[in-house]
Amino acid sequence: MLNKGINYRLPRNLLFVFEMMALFLMFMYYRSTLDKSTIIYGLSLIFIVYVSNLILSKIVSGDNYLFLIVTMLASIGIIMIYRINHEQGIKQIIWISIGIVLFFVTYFVVKRFKGWENLFIYYLSASIFLFVATLILGKRFRGAVNWISIGGISFQPTEIIKILAILMIASYYTNYDKFKKKKWGNYYLIGIMYLFVFFLFIQRDLGSVLIFCSLFLALQYIYNENRKLVFANLVVLIFSGLLGFAIFPHVKIRFETWINPWKYIDTIGYQITQSLFAISEGGFFGTGLGLGHPDFIPEVSKDFIFSAICEEMGILAGIGVIMLFMILVYRGFKISINQKNKFFRIAALGISILFGIQSFIIFGGVINMIPLTGITIPFVSYGGSSMLSSFIALGILQVASEELDIEED
Amino acid sequence: MYNILSLVFKYVFIVIIYLFIFSIIKLIYLDIKGIRPISFDNSTYLKLINRKESLPFKIKEYYPLDDNIFLGRGNDNEIVIKDPYISKKHLRIVKDEDDYFLEDLKSANGTYVNGQRVMDVLKLNNGDRITVGQVEFIFVNRG
Repeated sequence: MLNKGINYRLPRNLLFVFEMMALFLMFMYYRSTLDKSTIIYGLSLIFIVYVSNLILSKIVSGDNYLFLIVTMLASIGIIMIYRINHEQGIKQIIWISIGIVLFFVTYFVVKRFKGWENLFIYYLSASIFLFVATLILGKRFRGAVNWISIGGISFQPTEIIKILAILMIASYYTNYDKFKKKKWGNYYLIGIMYLFVFFLFIQRDLGSVLIFCSLFLALQYIYNENRKLVFANLVVLIFSGLLGFAIFPHVKIRFETWINPWKYIDTIGYQITQSLFAISEGGFFGTGLGLGHPDFIPEVSKDFIFSAICEEMGILAGIGVIMLFMILVYRGFKISINQKNKFFRIAALGISILFGIQSFIIFGGVINMIPLTGITIPFVSYGGSSMLSSFIALGILQVASEELDIEED
Repeated sequence: MYNILSLVFKYVFIVIIYLFIFSIIKLIYLDIKGIRPISFDNSTYLKLINRKESLPFKIKEYYPLDDNIFLGRGNDNEIVIKDPYISKKHLRIVKDEDDYFLEDLKSANGTYVNGQRVMDVLKLNNGDRITVGQVEFIFVNRG
């Protein structure tokens, strides 16, 4: 029949071939300055990815595609980062490996313990604690105060707060009936949401403001019974957006660069115009790895990795990355629809929305479709915090893809 | 040298990425249709007759059959159905030289094949209707 011969082995092997070829190409590229450790790192990553996919398809009763899609995205990202910057590439390999370990740890811990839906107050206080810690210990980096470093390890608390916020919203709507009985119970979440947005605004982290707002709004739109409240919220957000545009200069600058980046090509518009040049330079099939000039774009391995992929691997590969994200988000929605447990249902939905919104904002940003805000593409961009938190979120999604409410005999 | 290699590889990369996406979409498509891709060439299976949505417990559209399969409510069976009218170990389907036999394991509510209660062991023919609890299967053997 038509479908004969297709099974889980095919994408796994394709991924393996892809990674081996990329590794070989990178050897050739760095052949003059090659050392042994690079080969070991590369091969061990390929091994970890292959084995994890193999294990997952055996032990997991839920979704088998999530991890495949994500490892493909991470592979495309790591090739590009490694080609742009050797040292960042090595670091990224380590981050991905830790991320995969964290994915399994999250998967088993979340699955093993019950009662995640009753920890509302803990999610809330942990988030606020992290926000306050950022304010006190924060380091200013590229205009935004969103890094803290403790004992030499620096990380972005916002990345962790994203997951905490999703779990918090999920536990709020799971216990919605209980909250409604309290005075002002309906307004708890909105109050918390404005508090979070306020904190992020002080940090000047506009990208995260956008992510949190859309996440809250989407989940509120789906689960809140009070329709008026949702629309009132929307109006307030639009209004405060306009107000922010009028009052804060850094919002205005972003907007003006978006309208006409060519006017500011030598100053604030430099980054975005270089990104547009890079994408057009690549054409359909790209210039070939190592033959383009993605290093002309500032911050290319973080926010602008998508432009680098488009330049060197072609717009077709760029479209491929977008399609991979579409399948990932589609799977997330599907998982959420099939899940009977309300808490994990909302959490799965939140995580899918998070991946979708985050990739949309930055893809749209680098092609100048929407104003640019600096955030990372989950699983693709360089960055430890973002990689780890994305893998933790994926672990929760993996748990949500399984049947959880099985009554005991 | 490197340039030629890189030029060739970029086409290969794109082909691989799209093949990967295609195979995943295909697998998801098979999943939606309720066909399990792994044991697909297995031509003997139980097909659910009830509407899947009408049953209050989790059930699949297809159950492929091996040489020896237990069906019941307990988790140690090959086919687990959480129907309260099904016993913990309800029935067994055994393969003996190309023929399949159904054995009722003294279940409380019994097993019916084409409306007849199975007392001990019964040979299954292609198209037989098997009723256990609230669930009704059709036995398909194209071998």
